[in-house]
Amino acid sequence: MKVPSDSRARILQQVHAATQKTENPGDLASTYSNLPRTYVRAGRLSVAERIALMIERLREYDADVVETTSDKLDLAIAAQLRASGRHVFVAAEGLPAAWMAGGFEWKIDRNLSAAEIETCEGVVTGSFGGIADSGTIVLHHSAQEGRRIVSLLPDWHLCILYASRVVETLPEYFARCEQPPVLATYISGPSATADIEMTRIKGVHGPRFLNVIVVDDLGAELNTRQQGKEEISQGKST
Amino acid sequence: MSGTSYHPVLDPALAPPFPKAVLPVLRNPQLRKNVAHAIDVIQAKRARLVAEKVDWQELRSAGAAIREHSLAHLGAYLEQFEARCTAAGGTVHWAADADEARRIILEILRQENASEVIKIKTMTSAEIQLNPFLEAAGIKAYETDLAEIILQLGHEEPSHIVVPALHVNRSQVREIFAQSMGIKDLSDDPKALTAAARNYLRQKFLTVPTAISGANFLVAETGSVAIVESEGNGRMCLTLPNTMITLAGIEKVIPRFQDLEVMLQVLARSATGERMNPYTSVWSGVTPGDGPQRFHVVLLDNGRSKILAKNTERQTLRCIRCAACMNSCPVYRQTGGHAYGSVYPGPIGAILTPQLMQMNYAQSLPYASSLCGACYEVCPVKINIPEVLLELRSQVVNQERGKAAKFFDPMYLGLRAANLIFSRAWLFHAAQYLGRVGLKLFTGKDGWIHRLPSIGGEWTQTRDLRGLPKQPFHSWWAARQKGGR
Repeated sequence: MKVPSDSRARILQQVHAATQKTENPGDLASTYSNLPRTYVRAGRLSVAERIALMIERLREYDADVVETTSDKLDLAIAAQLRASGRHVFVAAEGLPAAWMAGGFEWKIDRNLSAAEIETCEGVVTGSFGGIADSGTIVLHHSAQEGRRIVSLLPDWHLCILYASRVVETLPEYFARCEQPPVLATYISGPSATADIEMTRIKGVHGPRFLNVIVVDDLGAELNTRQQGKEEISQGKST
Repeated sequence: MSGTSYHPVLDPALAPPFPKAVLPVLRNPQLRKNVAHAIDVIQAKRARLVAEKVDWQELRSAGAAIREHSLAHLGAYLEQFEARCTAAGGTVHWAADADEARRIILEILRQENASEVIKIKTMTSAEIQLNPFLEAAGIKAYETDLAEIILQLGHEEPSHIVVPALHVNRSQVREIFAQSMGIKDLSDDPKALTAAARNYLRQKFLTVPTAISGANFLVAETGSVAIVESEGNGRMCLTLPNTMITLAGIEKVIPRFQDLEVMLQVLARSATGERMNPYTSVWSGVTPGDGPQRFHVVLLDNGRSKILAKNTERQTLRCIRCAACMNSCPVYRQTGGHAYGSVYPGPIGAILTPQLMQMNYAQSLPYASSLCGACYEVCPVKINIPEVLLELRSQVVNQERGKAAKFFDPMYLGLRAANLIFSRAWLFHAAQYLGRVGLKLFTGKDGWIHRLPSIGGEWTQTRDLRGLPKQPFHSWWAARQKGGR
């Protein structure tokens, strides 16, 4: 039951009265499309440089990043799981079976309760993509990316990121969204706080450990990799 | 317990005027040190990350344009937000003032049979003084942001809108946590303190079924809400409970999802000096099987539509609450936030607070500025704060013009007298003569006045005054003309 109130009408009436002079209700869309947008939208880096930047930024956040190719992805996941020293993992519901390495206990998230997820030591999810400029992992929470809760409660998050899904700038990510997502989470490093004397502490409520496997699904394009790295560091020092 | 020996009042209707409220802070070297340290760290980080952004000014211009456009068409965008949010399964409520917002929230909590509620940091809830109200209604509100926990457990007040506990140092936090959480051997290492907070809250996150949040942005196109945070407490509150209540000022709306490409870039850099904050969440209404299944948005006016109607002042509502203005403010750096007597301190607080109070309270705040313009320079949405400060000052002066009490106000009387004297040459010369004779008594051998009696003493308390010269310029000039070259 909503509290009966005439506040809606009153507030809207006041707002419309206040904006009478500036409002252009007939053509809101064209007024909007004429807003100045002269900021950088498209990135300038080559594919290899872009991936190198993504990895550099993730590492600045203390994320653990490894690179692999599509055909070795399963092995890379298994290696990361083993290295974590953990045993019980939750898997996003749509996680490919091949990603769930043997020798570990897997709980597939078919509406698991919070208490059940809380007992898991880690989680493996896919991702919608990445934004290199800020080292951001994007989740739109598809079946492979999992419900919001699965990438939140476990202390250790292993995220699979395809190189073809990495863009350089934030505007490039928005350009890639055909439809605005219903749910989205943008992760830039593990949870952190600087609330006590501005000292950055990694790991508050979200996962304390963020692991990313960058999958080279672009093939030859990444071969110029080393060269790209040098260019970036030169660019930074000038 | 908290290290500050006084208790600041952050209700603008009750708080003392700024010059008075500032005194306990100026006498508290520990607090000033804490504030200055925190400000210096954020400022340095911000400066570094803004400098690396080649299109920073273009982003600011776009940010300002998007926010100004949203305000110019606020009614249309609010209605669009309401329609899309409702279609996505949310319920939208409208609150004309703080009282109505509190009552709407209480009503929802009563329907949920809630005795506890977990909260994501929201300055808007502090603006409507929600926590004490819920407490009185028998509902315990748990703050979940680390800084807010420090304040809540230490019975402290926020002094900043992004890092509200920046005036408390680690040993003070240790004391607060050790006491209230009953941990005897707690160290003052921020890592240990953060871990203590994590343990303290974990059960709350997993068991309390109702949460309250603010909103960084409301997206009209999708009816979705965006929340920007660092710790994950926000994601916990947005994901685990059954019911979510979002309290947002009506000005928070932006037209489209894509506008976040500007707002997120400028917000993170301005607020915490990061390229992107660790977690940003965007959600639309209710998603079956994922997160709260009941979702309410309370849209709060509380004076905002009145600000919207005014030409110069409207830009105040562009604010995205990044706090860059307070971090850059030479006044805030010395005083911290409490002296502003409002949950919104610093330059933005100095213009927002009196306006939210409809100029009935907080009239001293527009004067709590040197008008240096640093706040305008850093503002990611280009709010010309000095311009609004001056406009508000003129309104304060106009308010006082009509008051009978002015005839007893030395400032008013002094300026009236000056007005009279400056408009008549003979009076001016006479006053100069009297001044020379009178001030001679107080002028030292070095030609400086070090101490004046009565009101003049307020000036000489902190500075010296040059004594008047033996001969004023006009008489020297007249003598020179007469004597020829």
